[in-house]
Amino acid sequence: MSIDVSGVTKTFGDFVALDDVSVSLPTGQLTALLGPSGGGKSTLLRVIAGLETADTGRVTIEGVDATRLPPQKRNVGFVFQHYAVFKHMTVAKNVAFGLEIRKRPKAEIAARVDELLRLVHLSQFSHRLPSQLSGGQRQRMALARALAVEPKVLLLDEPFGALDAKVRKELRDWLRRLHDEVHVTTVFVTHDQEEAMEVADEIVVINDGRVEQVGTPDQLYDEPANDFVMSFLGEVTTLGGVLLRPHDVHISTTPQLAGAAEGTVSRVLRVGFEVRVNVLTDDGEDVLLVLTRTHARQLGIEPGVRVWVTPASGALTVPSMKAAVG
Amino acid sequence: MTSALAGVTGAAAEPASREGRRPRRSRRATPRNTLTKGAALGLGVTMVWFSILVLIPLAAIVATASENGWSQYVATLQNPQTWAAIKLTVGQALLVTVINIVMGTVIAWVLVRDRFPGKAILDVIIDVPFALPTIVAGLVLLALYGPNSPIGVHWANTERAVFLALAFVTLPFIVRTVQPVLEELESDVEEAAASLGASRTTIIRRIVLPSLTPAIAAGAALSFARAISEYGSLVLLSGNLPFRTEVVSVRVLSFIENGNTASAAALATIMLAVALLVIVVLDIVQRRVSRRG
Repeated sequence: MSIDVSGVTKTFGDFVALDDVSVSLPTGQLTALLGPSGGGKSTLLRVIAGLETADTGRVTIEGVDATRLPPQKRNVGFVFQHYAVFKHMTVAKNVAFGLEIRKRPKAEIAARVDELLRLVHLSQFSHRLPSQLSGGQRQRMALARALAVEPKVLLLDEPFGALDAKVRKELRDWLRRLHDEVHVTTVFVTHDQEEAMEVADEIVVINDGRVEQVGTPDQLYDEPANDFVMSFLGEVTTLGGVLLRPHDVHISTTPQLAGAAEGTVSRVLRVGFEVRVNVLTDDGEDVLLVLTRTHARQLGIEPGVRVWVTPASGALTVPSMKAAVG
Repeated sequence: MTSALAGVTGAAAEPASREGRRPRRSRRATPRNTLTKGAALGLGVTMVWFSILVLIPLAAIVATASENGWSQYVATLQNPQTWAAIKLTVGQALLVTVINIVMGTVIAWVLVRDRFPGKAILDVIIDVPFALPTIVAGLVLLALYGPNSPIGVHWANTERAVFLALAFVTLPFIVRTVQPVLEELESDVEEAAASLGASRTTIIRRIVLPSLTPAIAAGAALSFARAISEYGSLVLLSGNLPFRTEVVSVRVLSFIENGNTASAAALATIMLAVALLVIVVLDIVQRRVSRRG
């Protein structure tokens, strides 16, 4: 295990950011810490990096007890949401910073900076100032800067949070490919479940300062440990007291399946090929379901139509413990 | 002299505000001669106002001083009493500015980074030396360091009196220019440097100080300009002794009182040149340091 966190608690005044968190992150993998804002995931990342000290508990990095080590001695690369560039230095100087303070020979630094800038596709910008780069370019520079010192682990705190949707998606794919090339143990924080599912080998879901579930994206999606994980990883709706995905609701205009709930279509919203239908059942439940445009047309779904809804066969359902979150 | 100083402070404030934004960019981004009607009017008003207040009086001073050609400057400089006044004023102003660079930065740092009881009060009191009428500042200093000093420090009529008065009135300049820049400095930049292995001193030397230099330089220019022009706060304590504690502004006043306008103008022009020189040097140093990284 590359990073071992055991029994870590961290409070800020009355606020409990981390509540007895234990988690092990394997070497060489790309792990996402996923959860809602204020859930403690960034705090956990900062505790691993040494930027915050845990009140109790231990942090071990590559077998070395790092609990009391300052950030300088932990050999972790850290990438911040708002880039944290050194404004007065050129791109090349930014990347070289970690090597220069380690007093490496000049030629070696130049070669390494050159190699890293090529890796992040910024070679032609090496003499620019960070203010002359776009957000995405700045973040790639920050990544090269963090990788320059050959860290044991790379930690990214909401790395794409400040970027617009398109650049975000590009950088996401690029990070995945970069990780496949460099193979450094990487942990990144995100509140975007799509980002986590797409990029990560493993996801740690954190909420309210606690780890809710650890698993691969498929495990989390197919076998959510509880209703929070279920509702956080995708849209859910309630039907007959269980949580399920809106696309897993079977709808018909005649009573076909036993146990189907009868109701009236209250709202129809079309988004591209998708039709989102709200059905108000006679039991008073508001059920959301998603159909394709074609399917909705075949059935003749429009507001006011009487329908029968039931979980589709093979649908994943989770007992609804509390009001659905998110 | 007053008009010369107006020019000095104006020139000192200008590089500061320009440096605050990114000079390289703005220069490229602003094409020439694309003034709209409103902008043209604004520029016109600015130039008229600036000319009435600064350029024309300055030109008048230089013209008066130059009526007798270079000989007037040479004669003024050769007068040993004047030369002593210039040396004292410039020397003390430079000393005070250097001390302000250190102390002002430290005070700004304490005000921004540390939490302690009474911080808000200190933050307000910093401005007092600047807000106080200078003659009142002189009285305050006289009360503490004058002949009847309650703490037994008798600095009246010495060079130290000049230094003290200058240090007193110029204290807020660097604090107030550095403070907002320090507040804007994001802590994640320092954290990034730390996680790359930089020690606390390396972070301050290579990350924090280069970001602060434009502000420090601007404050230093203001502080120096104010120091070479100071009159009110030091006349009471320094005693204005020729060759010992007489500063340039006092010397200019005595020239005028004796009807020697040409010498007064020449001395004023010399001080203007000194002020310009120091401001240019500060700007060059600032550019060097903030690009060092």
